[in-house]
Amino acid sequence: MTVPDPHRLLVPVDDSVTVRNTVAYAIDQAETLRRDGDAPVELHFVVVPGTRAVDPDAPEELGAATDLLDRVAVWTDEDFGGDPPEGLSVTLEVVGADRYLFSPGDYADVLLEYAADRDIGRAILDPEYNPGGAAPMLRPLEIELARNGLEVEEAPVEREARQTVLARAATLPKYLSVFAASYLFYLLLSPWKPLDFFTGAITATLVSALLAPIAFSKQPSITRVPVQLVRMTIYVPYLLWQIALANLHIAKVVLHPSLPIDPTVVRYRAAVWGDAPVTTLANSITLTPGTLTISVSDRAFNVHSLTDNSRDDLEAGGLERAVRFVFYGREAAAIASPGERDDCEEVTYDG
Amino acid sequence: MTPLEWAIVALAAVGAFFGGVAAVGIVRLPDIYTRAHAASKSDTLGAVLALAAVALAIQTDLSTIKAVFLLLFMFLTNPTAAHAIARAAEDQGIRPWAAENREGDP
Repeated sequence: MTVPDPHRLLVPVDDSVTVRNTVAYAIDQAETLRRDGDAPVELHFVVVPGTRAVDPDAPEELGAATDLLDRVAVWTDEDFGGDPPEGLSVTLEVVGADRYLFSPGDYADVLLEYAADRDIGRAILDPEYNPGGAAPMLRPLEIELARNGLEVEEAPVEREARQTVLARAATLPKYLSVFAASYLFYLLLSPWKPLDFFTGAITATLVSALLAPIAFSKQPSITRVPVQLVRMTIYVPYLLWQIALANLHIAKVVLHPSLPIDPTVVRYRAAVWGDAPVTTLANSITLTPGTLTISVSDRAFNVHSLTDNSRDDLEAGGLERAVRFVFYGREAAAIASPGERDDCEEVTYDG
Repeated sequence: MTPLEWAIVALAAVGAFFGGVAAVGIVRLPDIYTRAHAASKSDTLGAVLALAAVALAIQTDLSTIKAVFLLLFMFLTNPTAAHAIARAAEDQGIRPWAAENREGDP
């Protein structure tokens, strides 16, 4: 294997709003490279079919991937005004279709493998690249690629200002889940008279009409949610145990005559993705041994810890692992702990 | 006393103890972040144990369920509040107290 070649560009594409502009930018970059140097330039557009394509034989998913590549082919023709010029080759490929991909790390692995096989030295990413669905993918992917020696760049494409979307289009499953949850809650608190069933239905209807659009960030899945709930019931006793330990620890420290505290702030990149897991982890961190989540952006946590002891616990990552287990299942629990990943660093304040 | 009564008394007593720890912690700890630790953890456990005692003591199904729900919501809302306070403090640029300034500065 030879040295990664910066004249070989890897462009992962996905059906995003900015994919067209990203392709245009990549072609532009390739053209500039070709004109400036005499080395042959290779442009690789690859599609990684999303988690939706868990079944490798799912024809419609692979169909969507090849469809997208067809479109990319048309766009390259458009931008080159025909075939690519001498010294510039374009490759279109679907990769990783035979794997179960789930975290940004998995996507990165697939892309890195492809890049390594072809000595690719540079990657251009679509700023809206997000094949995994709702969980933010771009940053972790960038970090992962850059760590493995690729030159990574986000395509500077125009896009609409992106704000946190609070209300999303409500669908029937969303209405039904909100309705069921609020109706159950109502009945639990009511004395079970016939009238209660009636008023409960009215209340639940109102609640679901008002709250269904903001209650979920993505479509609740009939198969996944119950499994997550079951795993949650395993998690809760563990969390309670951790909380009990936390409190004994705090009680000991607080009541100790010399107040043996050594507070620091640790910046900590958690290996969880998506709103619900991140929120769960942040709250769990706050509840357990000597650690307090100060701020969270995406998946970077600023955690204030009271003692050395609690810092070690954080690096051991028991909670993080448990949260991954709840939301993603057992195999996800096996990701290395934050200490091993080197994802914890102490924040120092000047002066 | 029946075992149930013992359980209620024990829960209430331990709850009160942790409530006390929270209060002592708020007085003794040096800055807003460390105090938030005491307020978020010990206080949660204290309140939750007291509520658990209440749930056992009431014994009528409905109110017990309500007490259990209260307890669950304490677990959700308390850390969120602590997080909001700590984050506001960080936004204000308040520096965490460190062990080096144990002497001198408070």
